[in-house]
Amino acid sequence: MTGKRLPAVSAILSAIAASLLLLFLVAPIGELVVQGGAAGVRQLGRDAELRAALVLTGATATIATLLGVVTGTPVAYLLARRRFRGRAVLSAILDLPLVIPHPVAGIALLLVLGRESMVGQGLLLAGLRVVGTPIGIVCAMLFVSAPLFVSGAREAFARVDPRYEAVARTLGDDGWRVFRRITLPLAGRGLLASAVVMWARAVSEFGAIVILTYNPKTVSVLSFDRFTSYGLSEAIPVAAVLVLIALVPLALLRALRGERELHAGGMQ
Amino acid sequence: MIIAEQLSARLGGFRLEQVSFEVPEGSYGVVIGPAGSGKTTLLETVAGIITPTGGTLRIGGHDVRTLPPERRRIGLVYQHGYLFPHLSVEENIAYGAGAAGADSGADSGADAVAEVVARFELAPLLRRDVVSLSGGERQLVAIARALAMRPRILLLDEPFSALDPARRARTRREVRIIHREWQLTVLQVTHDFTEAGMLGDVAILLDKGRVLQSGRPEEVFRRPASPYIAEFLGAENVLSGTARLLEDVAPDWIDGAPPLEADGHHALEFSSGSLTLYTVGAVPSGGQVYAVIRAEEVVISRTPQASSARNLFRGHIREITRLGAYARVTLDVDGVPLVAALTARSVHELGLAEGVEAFATFKAMAVHLC
Repeated sequence: MTGKRLPAVSAILSAIAASLLLLFLVAPIGELVVQGGAAGVRQLGRDAELRAALVLTGATATIATLLGVVTGTPVAYLLARRRFRGRAVLSAILDLPLVIPHPVAGIALLLVLGRESMVGQGLLLAGLRVVGTPIGIVCAMLFVSAPLFVSGAREAFARVDPRYEAVARTLGDDGWRVFRRITLPLAGRGLLASAVVMWARAVSEFGAIVILTYNPKTVSVLSFDRFTSYGLSEAIPVAAVLVLIALVPLALLRALRGERELHAGGMQ
Repeated sequence: MIIAEQLSARLGGFRLEQVSFEVPEGSYGVVIGPAGSGKTTLLETVAGIITPTGGTLRIGGHDVRTLPPERRRIGLVYQHGYLFPHLSVEENIAYGAGAAGADSGADSGADAVAEVVARFELAPLLRRDVVSLSGGERQLVAIARALAMRPRILLLDEPFSALDPARRARTRREVRIIHREWQLTVLQVTHDFTEAGMLGDVAILLDKGRVLQSGRPEEVFRRPASPYIAEFLGAENVLSGTARLLEDVAPDWIDGAPPLEADGHHALEFSSGSLTLYTVGAVPSGGQVYAVIRAEEVVISRTPQASSARNLFRGHIREITRLGAYARVTLDVDGVPLVAALTARSVHELGLAEGVEAFATFKAMAVHLC
């Protein structure tokens, strides 16, 4: 009797805990969208600064994501497929930006890319200023969000059974052709999903960006600026717009995952 | 031709250790072994997917240890097919046809695809999504895909396991015909001994990453090198005992000394409990001796039959196991069980039943000592 009752009690407790967590996560975001969503969309028409912030955020997040995909894909493949000395160290280094506070990441980037640093001076000589420009925003976004792409892409590659690649090799394809014709298409959805996660993380970044480039402002910096300069009521529509932007990749991600699960059902 | 000498390879924690065998040009080799014995690892090493850690591997007279898989022209078919799920059946089959390493240009690549599609009756499947195929259909497409690139060697990893019996027989026949017509060297993994006997010119017995025995299938099955191999190969009668040469005591059934060309082969007497068998062959090395008699070699009768067979025993039937048209009859000879394979019709016509007195006969040549 007790044995039957226990699972029922634990199921009820789990349901209550899950509901509380869900409520805690959804309530603030829901409240923000309800209070400021419509106002934020309307404000887009008359608020040039918000429009500029939106374009800047989208463009810099996209550039950072492209850079992350181009440089992160080979690293992810290497980590998923090869066993080599220092693999664990490389893996830990790639996870480092995920565990340090983002303002600290901004300060670290400032040390390396600021005008006082050798790299910063070299870049200035080449006509590239990082601090206080969109380049700084891209660097901050890349630093904090690229590890998410590498981690997801690594998982996507690991999910591709190496025997598909082995068969393709025996059918006459060299390593690069196998990667292009087999590995990439099979890992494609996973890579795309990882890129979407990276983009979403880049869009929502604040801590590192605010250290490197306060102006021009991304939407996250603008919402903070409006809050500190004009109060909560002015910050709400801007923050709501940011939430709505973040929901687009989230919906895309759900669609991709749904398709992938369907697809994975009949492999081999 | 595939020649492996002391070939070693490693995959994770598994090791293929000092494997030696030879599959002559245009021959059909079968690799037999229990699950986890290294059969697939062996095929992957031959295909070039796994790099050997030692020994030599020669294909067509060339050392191929450093040759990448795409330049070996070796077709590999895994048990689960591994059809590319993002491509159609037709695209899968055509994948390697006309490839740089294949022995064909663009036109002959298309011809090869058409030929394998016709041979395996795959035309109705061509437009299908591979995810919708049954296990058997996938295996067929995988075989066709490997053959469409016109390989010089075909490696098959339990390729007929998911096919229904009728389709299995047909596919096996087609593969055999292609093997002969194209003079293709084939190495196939199977755990089906019937298949090994039917298809193979060479049998390679693998266990725990080592070759236990290799040679002609009938030789491996009739003359297993150890009692473990005999039992693994399904020999029902494996008796332990002692053997002694008979020449010393001038047996009444041998006149004079054996001729010179038969040197090395001797008349032997083997004792296991109260059972004494006569046999001819080489004296096995080592202390403990085992006698192996395949159940198919044992003849059962109700009366003692006068014949050339040297071994005749009286006993009582202990057990009859009917398996459709086939029956397994165990005769108790003074406490030693002797198993005979009979047709169910013979069991019926001889009136065999448990407890009935019967006689078991087999030739000296049917007893293999190891």
